[in-house]
Amino acid sequence: MRRHLSAEWTKLRTLPGIGWLLLAVVTLTPAASAAAAAVVSCPPAGCAYDVPKLSLMGVQAGQAVVAILAVLAVTGEYGTGLVRTTFTAMPRRVTVLTAKAAVLTGVTLSAATGAVLASVLAGRLILAGNGFVPEHGQPLLSLADGPTLRAATGSVLYLALIALLSLGVAVAVRDSAIAMGIVFGLLYILSALPLMVSDPGLQKLLWQISPMNAGLAVQATTRLSALPLSPWAGLAVLAAWAVAALLCGGLLLRTRDA
Amino acid sequence: MSAGTAPRRGGFGRLLRAEWTKFRTVRGWVLGLAVAPLVIVTLGLVSASGSHTSCGGPYDVCPAVPVGPGGEAVDDKFYFVHKPLTGDGSITARVSSMTGHIRKPDVTPGVRNEVDGVVPWAKAGVIVKDGTRQGSTYAATMVTGGHGVRMQYDFTGDMAGRPGGVSKDSPRWLRLTRSGEELTGYESADGRHWTVVGTARLAGLPDTVQVGLFVASPGDLTVQQADFGGSIQAVRFTEAIAVFDQVALEGRTSGGAWERDDIGVTLEPDGAPHHPGGFAQSGDTYTVTGVGDIGPTGEGQRIESTLSGLPAGLIVVIVAAVMFVTAEYRRGLIRTSLLAGPRRGRVLAAKATVIGTVTFVAGLAAAGIAVVVGTRILRSNGNPVLPVSTLTELRVIAGVAALLAVAAVLAFALGALFRNSAAAVTVAVAVIVVPHVLATTSVLPLGAAQWLLRLTPAAGFAVQQSIPEYPHVLAYYAPSAGYYPLAPWAGLSVLCAYAALALGLAVVRIRRRDA
Amino acid sequence: MHATIEVHGLRKRFGQTVALDGMSFTVSPGHVTGFVGPNGAGKSTTMRVILGLDAADEGTALVGGRPYRSLRTPLRHVGALLDAAALQPSRTARNHLLWLAHSQGLPAGRVDEVLDQVGLRSAARRRAGGFSLGMRQRLGIAAALLGDPPVLMLDEPVNGLDPEGIVWIRGFLRSLAAQGRAVLVSSHLMSELQDTADHLVVVGRGRVVADTSVADLIAAASRDRVRLRTTARERATTALSQAGATVAVADRDVITVSGLAAERVVAALTAGAVPFSEVAADRATLEEAYLELTRNAVEFRAADAEAGR
Repeated sequence: MRRHLSAEWTKLRTLPGIGWLLLAVVTLTPAASAAAAAVVSCPPAGCAYDVPKLSLMGVQAGQAVVAILAVLAVTGEYGTGLVRTTFTAMPRRVTVLTAKAAVLTGVTLSAATGAVLASVLAGRLILAGNGFVPEHGQPLLSLADGPTLRAATGSVLYLALIALLSLGVAVAVRDSAIAMGIVFGLLYILSALPLMVSDPGLQKLLWQISPMNAGLAVQATTRLSALPLSPWAGLAVLAAWAVAALLCGGLLLRTRDA
Repeated sequence: MSAGTAPRRGGFGRLLRAEWTKFRTVRGWVLGLAVAPLVIVTLGLVSASGSHTSCGGPYDVCPAVPVGPGGEAVDDKFYFVHKPLTGDGSITARVSSMTGHIRKPDVTPGVRNEVDGVVPWAKAGVIVKDGTRQGSTYAATMVTGGHGVRMQYDFTGDMAGRPGGVSKDSPRWLRLTRSGEELTGYESADGRHWTVVGTARLAGLPDTVQVGLFVASPGDLTVQQADFGGSIQAVRFTEAIAVFDQVALEGRTSGGAWERDDIGVTLEPDGAPHHPGGFAQSGDTYTVTGVGDIGPTGEGQRIESTLSGLPAGLIVVIVAAVMFVTAEYRRGLIRTSLLAGPRRGRVLAAKATVIGTVTFVAGLAAAGIAVVVGTRILRSNGNPVLPVSTLTELRVIAGVAALLAVAAVLAFALGALFRNSAAAVTVAVAVIVVPHVLATTSVLPLGAAQWLLRLTPAAGFAVQQSIPEYPHVLAYYAPSAGYYPLAPWAGLSVLCAYAALALGLAVVRIRRRDA
Repeated sequence: MHATIEVHGLRKRFGQTVALDGMSFTVSPGHVTGFVGPNGAGKSTTMRVILGLDAADEGTALVGGRPYRSLRTPLRHVGALLDAAALQPSRTARNHLLWLAHSQGLPAGRVDEVLDQVGLRSAARRRAGGFSLGMRQRLGIAAALLGDPPVLMLDEPVNGLDPEGIVWIRGFLRSLAAQGRAVLVSSHLMSELQDTADHLVVVGRGRVVADTSVADLIAAASRDRVRLRTTARERATTALSQAGATVAVADRDVITVSGLAAERVVAALTAGAVPFSEVAADRATLEEAYLELTRNAVEFRAADAEAGR
């Protein structure tokens, strides 16, 4: 396993464009968060915004880049035939997948930590200028606050789980275009599905199984009782999706010819 | 001239044929473009069959929505004080006061929170109408709560007069004259100097019409963010009370008393009217209280609600279109293609034409089935579906097919530009699908959502809007409610412009770069 | 531990197509073994099954006595070159070998050694996407050598190389065999193997047609034919036919005689006073022997069809 990890790490860090993708995660996330923070303001009478969630809005943009990163780490090998070299060197395919997942998780976690910290910082600076100040009933954004810390940590984990979900999908379908299509469908289309049904029970169920809606519940800090899932339970739903995708990919990897 | 162009046409025709053969012989591409309509139809029909409306009552049947002379669903609810008029004639009245009540959200739960006030589109004035049936043709001159004097007719017609409200010190004279099918509205500040507000021709207006005074007051709208995304709109009760005097009728009218009708009032289970209007006469002064509105309504399902599978179908189309070009680069097939057709721009144009045409045909089938069958399912489930003209329905279907086709060309061009499937699919989804999802699920503030749908390729979604926005009707005109900031074809043009730009850049790139 | 490849009774179908139909052979150390057969004969599929990339429906393929997928550091047991284009173009040659080295627990220094060995040192930090086909082949061979394996397996390594590259690779393969390694080289052209291989496994339609040394194969194909150069073709034919030989015309003044030993041919001609200038025992070329063997096994006569699946 150590050799597998070392090989996959070397492969990932020399993946074409990896530097740009990581840079995109670290810059796009806070940039989108800052844009979201810039368009809202809090009047002196107070306001009802979920401030930590607002300042972590950029995660919704950053996740697309994380998905590309994860998909390319797999389909780059299939597209060029490199995968045969990989499996010749490391015939235990599931171990290879595990190593790839571990390395990818590590890289995503570190990039996501940077992205989330920058988002919180940007949110704190911009929102304070837009009236989100203690005098208006809004304490300054701070990671010392328990729910805020949970939202931030959860967002980092959310991005890592998105990477794993995308990895599993990419291993299963082996083509980057189809893999990106499926990942975006799972994230964005499933998240909009609850709005298309009128039955409240079905609406709640669709919300609960949507990886993006459920996963982002971890960012919520206000009106938690109104959410169909508690923050950590929501993240667990996303984790279940990621595990299912990886299992599916791993199973196909074992049985299929390379 | 024609001898010079003929072989060139033939050349492009051959390229088209070659690209079509290439397309139809790859199972994955054909499959991809077969999946897209399947997704659109399936999701559309499933969501249509999951949508039920019931109105309670013994038969659980919702009352039919009145339809105006133009075929649109309308609100036609007001208090009407009227007399029959045969042939030409006119009515004149002075409005000296307009007051009312507005119910606000309860501060203490269970305790009615009503304040004095008039909503901007509360209406009081004189009207000529083809009887008392809801949806029948009419023309009216009126003062409003916040939009000055107006002349309105047949629900969709609206013409502005002088701004400003009425009070005891500055009353407003209103006059409506009928001459055949032509109605002319006048206003005056003093009863002597009259200005024309507007003229309307009411086709098929019978000889005998009802003429009189009316008051209406549409509900007050509040919009709230919903917990699961989306918005909750609440319409609260309002009423308007107008005082008329110096009422004068000309022409052949019955000499009898005024008839009174609370047009369109809903009845409680015990038969009593719910929020009734009213009429009181003291000498030559008439006080009329009215609730409701006269105008087109957007309440109910729309035909495009059967297109809920469109974003998912778009993703499939994007993936197929991107693969149509990136697969060539990956396998080096592009070199064969360029050897067979060395004029690279034309090769790209031929490929774009093929993917666009194929997607358009697939989209036409998908949208046609989803809209036609989906609307039937919606109606059979008791949902009131807003009626639209056949032309509008065709525009929605063809427009959605065009939206899919142009999106395919845009995705294709991005694929040729980036030569990388993952990047091309991501960018295409991020600029076409994601802005629409963000804007319509109202996670964004209204202004931001509208700008997204003006500036990004997602503007093309406007082509599916079947019910137009009426400036003289208060409603939540937001993307989440199905109202796009651009007109249907204007929105599609934005998408077309992006596709053309991307295709242009792709042509420049393929000419300059080595294959 | 055996330094060999053992393939036994492999069967595999892709849909309707039978790719392997009872493929069995072994590769022994110290030789270059040619793995030859027409396009579509199952060479690449066999190699992919040996390397655990494809699963056979039936049969076993062992490397050093063990299935490939059970090897912990397989590149130390077998080095393989399947497809020289199987690279990520933006990665440098050195980085490509580096991750492979890490996967086998080999030090980075080993990467520079093999790069030297194949003569790619100066190009080590260039993107592999910019390499010529010859350089990619060298990089692929470097990858195969990385684990210093006792067994090497190369699929069509000569394909697309320039004459200089062909000479280099032939010498290189022979030197590897001389070091005591087992070397399996596939090709669809026998001529490519003529000067390289010691032993041949000839395949057609998914099974082994001949498993023999090069010398035996040529002898078997030549049998006892005699080449005769004469200006009196017709008289010679008559005389030899009467002596019981079968005669075939090979050229304007050359005939081949079979069924009669050389000395009896000379005797028959002398007795008939037929003039001749040259009599030689005819050794078939390897190519002819191969064509003879695979005549029935050629599935795709058009040589364009892609090798492998």
